[in-house]
Amino acid sequence: MASVSTRPVDETPDKELLARHAAGDPHAFAELVNRHRDRMWAVAVRTLGDPEEAADALQDACLSAFRAAGRFRGDAAVTTWLHRIVVNACLDRIRRKSVRPATPMGDDATFDAVAPKAPDPTDAHGVALDVRSALAVLPFEQRAALVLVDMMGYSVDDAARVLEVPPGTIKSRCARGRARLAPLLTHHRNRPGPRNVGGVEGGGTPR
Amino acid sequence: MKNPAHLDYDTLADLAEGLLEDDHAASVNAHLESCADCRDRSADLADVSRLLAEAPTPAMPADLASRIDSAIAAESLHSAQVVSLEQRRGRRHWRLLSAAAATAIVLGGGAMVGKAALEGSDGDASTAAKTPVMDGSDGGAAMRSSARAPGAATEGSGPRRDTLAAPVTFTVAASGTDYRASSLGPQVGDLLGKGGESRTEGRAPDARLSECVASVTRGKTPALVDSARYEGGPATVIAVRAAKPDAWEIWVVGPDCSAQDTRELKHTVAGG
Repeated sequence: MASVSTRPVDETPDKELLARHAAGDPHAFAELVNRHRDRMWAVAVRTLGDPEEAADALQDACLSAFRAAGRFRGDAAVTTWLHRIVVNACLDRIRRKSVRPATPMGDDATFDAVAPKAPDPTDAHGVALDVRSALAVLPFEQRAALVLVDMMGYSVDDAARVLEVPPGTIKSRCARGRARLAPLLTHHRNRPGPRNVGGVEGGGTPR
Repeated sequence: MKNPAHLDYDTLADLAEGLLEDDHAASVNAHLESCADCRDRSADLADVSRLLAEAPTPAMPADLASRIDSAIAAESLHSAQVVSLEQRRGRRHWRLLSAAAATAIVLGGGAMVGKAALEGSDGDASTAAKTPVMDGSDGGAAMRSSARAPGAATEGSGPRRDTLAAPVTFTVAASGTDYRASSLGPQVGDLLGKGGESRTEGRAPDARLSECVASVTRGKTPALVDSARYEGGPATVIAVRAAKPDAWEIWVVGPDCSAQDTRELKHTVAGG
């Protein structure tokens, strides 16, 4: 089923799948999810950082989309709509975590991920970890904008449609986020020339 | 920044996004021409975007695809049952029914007042919603019967909602309850099972919440819509009487729940 996404030529259009689903076709929605699951996963795991949380968020999102499909307005791309639901599911997860008093099993890994680590510039895995923990210090809105624009390659306009804010807001969130991340990630720059990066404002006290 | 004349990351990031006023951008560009440090800093920002773009996506857990498929299949089953019930009643009919014979439960201060519009009533939803009725023990039966037996209460006499902006009629309580995941069922049961000594009326839902609830319950009339808190955060708790006696199908949705996106936080069946 996942191979569907590699054969776009004979694919049923997303909107038609959604319409079939709304009309009662029991298989249409599963096909739609299978088609877009990988990118929905990418949005979720990059936004949340923690794979377990991201898995739950993706499942939440799929069920939300399933239920709301009948109300999909045809003026947006289905993927835009799906990714919006994923982002919202992630936000719901974060809201719940932030108010949960005790930390049940599985949360330790998340907190480890959130805590900034001593940088290890030597390997790709280290870069990935650093990017993840750096992203975790950003406010959700900035992180979501950067996930869509810088990580997923969305245009500013498309990201604006997903997040339902004006394009200027996306630009501003991306700028704030990059400015915040820059001092956290300078040790990964692959340009020559050591420089004085200590004490750059914004990098000292990740929230 | 050691030299206050230098440019900080925020300014440079704004410049890159074209967010600076023209004259400010001009002076920033002029500074960049003459300052290697700031050009370096500007390159840091470009590196941020590059690092983000190159960061690998963690692999999807092996069981996630099948987990989601199962959840969707279960949901399909659930909705198929709702659809067949709907078909039995007649599609147009059930909307009228829901609007007219609404079981409107108003909650306040942890107790239930309100009115179950029963079969045989005149089916005027607005009257029904405002008339306090029964004691709590009676209430369950009333809700059950109105939820299950559309019957004569409905056709024709209720307000027509052909545009189906709000297929279900209910009022919104504000019980002040802080619901917890671990005690959701008992908390809802307490509210709905108690006698109706309180007379605090709920408010009418706005259009967004109406559509949200209709979407969440798939057209079933809620026994409870409580604008309250869940795990410490603002949330709306929606309960529909489940098939088993004294059991509730409960949804917790975010305060910004809409038909397009219900922001569902929790969905469970409790009690019974």
